[in-house]
Amino acid sequence: MNPISVLVIEDDKWLAEQYKRLLDKAEYGVVICSSADNAIQLIDDSLPDVIVLDILLTGSTAFALLHELQSYGDTCNIPIIICSSLVNDLNLDTLKDYGVKKILDKTTMIPGDLIAAIKGVLQ
Amino acid sequence: MSAAKGDHKELLNGSFTDDLPSLVAAAHELKSPLALIRQLSLMLEEGEISIDDHKKILRQISLTSERALRLTSDLTKSVRLTDAMFNLEPINPKQLCEDVVSELSPLFLAHERKLRLVSRKHSTLIIANRDLLKRIIINFSDNALHYAKDSSAVEIKVSSHSSGRIIRLGVRDYGPALPIDTFKKLQSKLSNSPMPVYARPQSSGLGLYISSQFADIMNGNIGMMRHRDGATFYVDLQASRQMNLL
Repeated sequence: MNPISVLVIEDDKWLAEQYKRLLDKAEYGVVICSSADNAIQLIDDSLPDVIVLDILLTGSTAFALLHELQSYGDTCNIPIIICSSLVNDLNLDTLKDYGVKKILDKTTMIPGDLIAAIKGVLQ
Repeated sequence: MSAAKGDHKELLNGSFTDDLPSLVAAAHELKSPLALIRQLSLMLEEGEISIDDHKKILRQISLTSERALRLTSDLTKSVRLTDAMFNLEPINPKQLCEDVVSELSPLFLAHERKLRLVSRKHSTLIIANRDLLKRIIINFSDNALHYAKDSSAVEIKVSSHSSGRIIRLGVRDYGPALPIDTFKKLQSKLSNSPMPVYARPQSSGLGLYISSQFADIMNGNIGMMRHRDGATFYVDLQASRQMNLL
């Protein structure tokens, strides 16, 4: 069993399931969460090695979560991969300050991209 | 046959450009289901998945496609509202809502949620266009599906207001409460916004905008109520003066 734990924050249930299929196959430990508010609680309980984050979420936005994570010493270094269909509106250089290491475009990514991105940010 | 270059130029200089905000919202709304369909299809192509997962993915692809197609159909109708004639007739709201529940139940079931109707046995007839009203209720239900908590039920309610002169068809979800600033913005813009209304942070608001247009054609209006544990989106329509024979 791969000891690496991945927290997926995605409010589209079926897309989250799809990510889980991919991550299970690669033998990562996966926790799915549908909102930024619940994610904070989960991160408090157990720090993940990587966070896969959607931008448009129910309730608090992903940006509120990014700010929150940067506020604490134990969470500010968790690498974050953003999976979004709004990549044209996102700037990796700006988001790097918030722990974002990689941005994946939901509309063009292929199944292998998620695993490759996780491997990449953990190197 | 493709349009001539001149036609394109006319489109760009004319109403086409006036509709750009709606087009951007439409593109945004369609991105999510299309991206999901693509991801699921690629997973099927890769193979090495269980038979159960295979069946589940195929079902999700077809239901997501239907959802996207409903949006394109609404958009087409919305654009043609000024040109087309939409007959208004006495309609049994309970029966129409039952049709919606029947049509959307497979989608809700696939999301492990329930859609149910709450109505009196005999509801007053309303003056409406069956197709437009059905699309409004489907829009609200689609919206509720996305925001309802896991395993919670979404309720379609038919109720009478203003001494029976107004019939309200509402869709109640049990999900996160709307932020108060979003709610206030909605209240002021809901009925006559020239732009899509952002109902919730991740929504382009296009569905509500289209619903508002459809309600307007039927001399009705849409609105919303904020609850501690969710929201109700509703459409108010005039009751028919015809005797309710159903």
